[in-house]
Amino acid sequence: MSAITHSSVQSVARTRRRRGKSVVGPTFRTIAIVFVVLLFIAPLAWMLLAAFKTNLDIVTPSRTFDFTPTLGNFETVFGAQNFLPFILNSLIVGFGSTVVALILGVPAAYGIARYTIRNATAFVLLARVIPGVSLLIPWYFLFSQVQLVGTYTVLILTHIFVTMPLVVAIMTGFFEGLPNELEEAAQIDGCGKVEAFIRVVLPLSLPGLATSAILSFIFSWNNFLFALVLSNQSTRTLPVAISNFTSYASVDWGGLMAAAVIITIPVMLVALFAQKYVISGLTAGATKG
Amino acid sequence: MTTTAKPTLAPRRHVANTVSNWVDRNLKWIFTAPAIAFVALLIIFPIGYTVFLSLTDSASSVTRPFDFIGFDNYAYWLTDVTRFWPAVGRTAYFTAVALTLELGFGLAIALLLRKTFRGQSIVRVFILLPLVATPVAVGMMWLLIFEPTIGFANVLMKSLGLPAQLWLSGKESALNTIIFIDVWQWTPMIILILLAGLSTIPEEPEEAALVDGANAWQRFRHVTLPLLMPTLGAAAILRSIDAMKTFDIIYATKGRNGGSNNEAETLNMLAYNESFGNSQYGSAAALLMLFLTFIIIILAVLAILRKKGTRV
Amino acid sequence: MIALGAGMTACAPAGGDSSADVTELTLIAANSPWTKGLETLAVDYEEETGVKVNLEFYGNEQLNDTLKVKLNAQSSDFDIYAYQVQDVMREFSRNGWLADMTDYVSSDPEWDWDDFQSSARDAVTLDGVVYGVPVMTERHVMYYRSDLLEQAGIPVPTTLDELAAAAAKLNNPDNGFYGIAMRGAKVPLVTQFSSFLYSYGGDFQDEDGNATVDTPEAIEAYEFYGKLLKDYGPPGATNMGWPEASAIFAQGNAAFYLDADSQAYTFLDPANSAVVDTVAYGSFPAGPAGSHPYSIVPQTVGINEFSKKKDAAWEFIKWVTNEENSKKLLSEATVPVARDSAWADDEATSGFPAGLVEIVRSSEGTVGHDRPQLEQVALAREIVGAPAVVAIEGGNVSDSAKQAQTDFQKLLDGEK
Repeated sequence: MSAITHSSVQSVARTRRRRGKSVVGPTFRTIAIVFVVLLFIAPLAWMLLAAFKTNLDIVTPSRTFDFTPTLGNFETVFGAQNFLPFILNSLIVGFGSTVVALILGVPAAYGIARYTIRNATAFVLLARVIPGVSLLIPWYFLFSQVQLVGTYTVLILTHIFVTMPLVVAIMTGFFEGLPNELEEAAQIDGCGKVEAFIRVVLPLSLPGLATSAILSFIFSWNNFLFALVLSNQSTRTLPVAISNFTSYASVDWGGLMAAAVIITIPVMLVALFAQKYVISGLTAGATKG
Repeated sequence: MTTTAKPTLAPRRHVANTVSNWVDRNLKWIFTAPAIAFVALLIIFPIGYTVFLSLTDSASSVTRPFDFIGFDNYAYWLTDVTRFWPAVGRTAYFTAVALTLELGFGLAIALLLRKTFRGQSIVRVFILLPLVATPVAVGMMWLLIFEPTIGFANVLMKSLGLPAQLWLSGKESALNTIIFIDVWQWTPMIILILLAGLSTIPEEPEEAALVDGANAWQRFRHVTLPLLMPTLGAAAILRSIDAMKTFDIIYATKGRNGGSNNEAETLNMLAYNESFGNSQYGSAAALLMLFLTFIIIILAVLAILRKKGTRV
Repeated sequence: MIALGAGMTACAPAGGDSSADVTELTLIAANSPWTKGLETLAVDYEEETGVKVNLEFYGNEQLNDTLKVKLNAQSSDFDIYAYQVQDVMREFSRNGWLADMTDYVSSDPEWDWDDFQSSARDAVTLDGVVYGVPVMTERHVMYYRSDLLEQAGIPVPTTLDELAAAAAKLNNPDNGFYGIAMRGAKVPLVTQFSSFLYSYGGDFQDEDGNATVDTPEAIEAYEFYGKLLKDYGPPGATNMGWPEASAIFAQGNAAFYLDADSQAYTFLDPANSAVVDTVAYGSFPAGPAGSHPYSIVPQTVGINEFSKKKDAAWEFIKWVTNEENSKKLLSEATVPVARDSAWADDEATSGFPAGLVEIVRSSEGTVGHDRPQLEQVALAREIVGAPAVVAIEGGNVSDSAKQAQTDFQKLLDGEK
């Protein structure tokens, strides 16, 4: 059976190398890729510039590019606003909820995909469907009864609620796209179903797992509503802390943009790491064969 | 594979095998039960509570005395042509347009990025950025960029010789501008999911098609697309749920009631406003239940379409 | 988690009256100049008394959501909260979410409740019950560009008609310069429209609390407000709250800006403003019925009815609002406090822009509310703001005002 997997991975890698050179017009493709990238990052470039501007320069269009850069906004973010603990909180909650969401969600997705349990998909997706507003008061009531409000536990729990359905949906689609023959072959080789899942399916699912993990982390990282009411000063996460920049009589646009830039960096690193992991996983598979 | 097939095994192996067989036979439930239990644990009480509230006239505080009024709240919304039905229309319009654009662009860009090239991982991270940037901050960023007087968007329009626009401030243009922002922010998610899906599609069938002399479009239409359908379906379902519930960017750019003429008020915004703005917990609960029903209907339609799509 | 649980039981004596045992209090509030000043004061308080005051600050809207969730669940996680009197006091007090502070404020003659401005005391009293101690005050003022008025030879407007004429003269939309910037978004504009309404002789409600937003005075006021923004205001005005409108003035692209005096500091900070040297302050211009700007208490500090440490909470509130600390907040953190003694003290007010101090001291003709007075303020603001939006868009104001009158009255009747 192992022959099947490896040879197919190998052939994927081989065709990729070949096609990249010959079939596609490389210049046109490069231009298209650059264009797409620019489209997505242009507004964020504006944001990055704004992070180095005074509030006055931000609201003056003629100074979009022509301004004297200042580090004042970053000083505000780390000094007066003391963002470091918030970053740490968001990291703890983001990693915690992503890991648990994967542990709960990936096997569930596999079960759903292989045994087509439609009701289960619907039920897990219900968690994603239900508007957050209707959860707030009941949840606050429940969690304050067990004195969990303000703890990391409650933030991780509620964020899993956001991230796990995402993992299930993505991985179900992914597993459905994965040919069934692989596990069947593994089972003929004497593996149990669980073993086949762990030894054969999971390694092949690295791209899907990475995508689920990245998105799961991002959704947890950006969740605002649950953290707003269930965190306290010491467990407050970044999106809630962002509201500190709207003060009573003015909006600190510069501080806000600087904070947004800083918030983006950890997630970028996570994404980059996960991407590398996927790509190296694929190459490892190819060379092994 | 079954116990009867292996009568010669030693007793200990046999026990292990029985357990393993039991696991194999019930894998379906062993794998799915924890996730289902988790969701059930967190969702049953809130949904029950929302249904309960929706049958009352609870307002101001949920602990204040209230009366059971049956389905009056539902009747109220279903006959409300000033706020409810326009909000339904906007939600449907927003979701349909945003979803179509995001799936279209997402698929095109995913195909563009499919094959390996130098700097691939950096490009993928760049494309993820709109998704990563905190929604609240992004909302405020767009508010400034699209401000008709002090925003950069109109500066750009003028330098291209185009007339200045009202963007988010206009009665008619606001919702479309928000769709633009949504497409910018969420297409990356579709791209990422589709790239993962594409990585599982073996290229042999495609190669076979190439040998048969199929052109690029035919190959895509008859080979890649059908194989990508499960992933595309998952992405569409995920995205449509979130699009229907879009909150952050509308809230940040148009405020709690979706603008001075409620021009960007979707169902989620209306429900939020009814609950946290107006403290009408009973009628807000009914609205949330209607909204939930609405989403489930759309999802059912999508699921049916998806089934058909996979069969093609 | 465990420590928190243990802490909670230890700090929860029956009745909650032994303030001596309390070592920790929690205060939640929306960001304001007052909360800025509070950060240092809380440290002083801990040094003085050993009681640690945990501070949790939010944006204004976030505070609203947090409070509603927590109080609906009858949370005792926090003891003290600052709130927007005009928006929530009626609703919260009738929900039983605010502790009755009547006995507390009269308990200590030395602390002197009577030293608080009488309008501020009225603002926090409902049906004879005191629900909070005012910590900030706010008035409607006219910000203008002294340089431009001088150049054009225009005297500082003292009436609304003069204001319109001056705005018309300075308006130059082709160059991206506008006569006036003000809030034009339906809900945010209501509070700033209120002074126009009063100065035209109208109000949202009469003495019996009935709706009066379709009176001839009200319609005229709506039309005037709309005309100002339609003819001399920036494009897209109906999407503007204070952040957008004040940004246009700060950037130097508007001649006038009418809003709360609490924003003065934004325009005096060179990093925020291109008009540091040219901004000046004037009293709200007079309408046909005189000059009647709002003068309100935007921030009040009250006690959570579900708190188990009410006495200790009061001790802190009493300390932080005493005369000495009020003066300190006024002079060091430029918080427009509500104590007469602080405003009478020239040393304490020295940090304030001179023009503003005069306006604060002469409170003649001001009105103590800036929005409809009922429980469902948010709903009412949507209703009474609509005719102003119609006016800005050049629609039929009197039809819209009639509709608003009907809807508003229905809302008021529902609360009776």
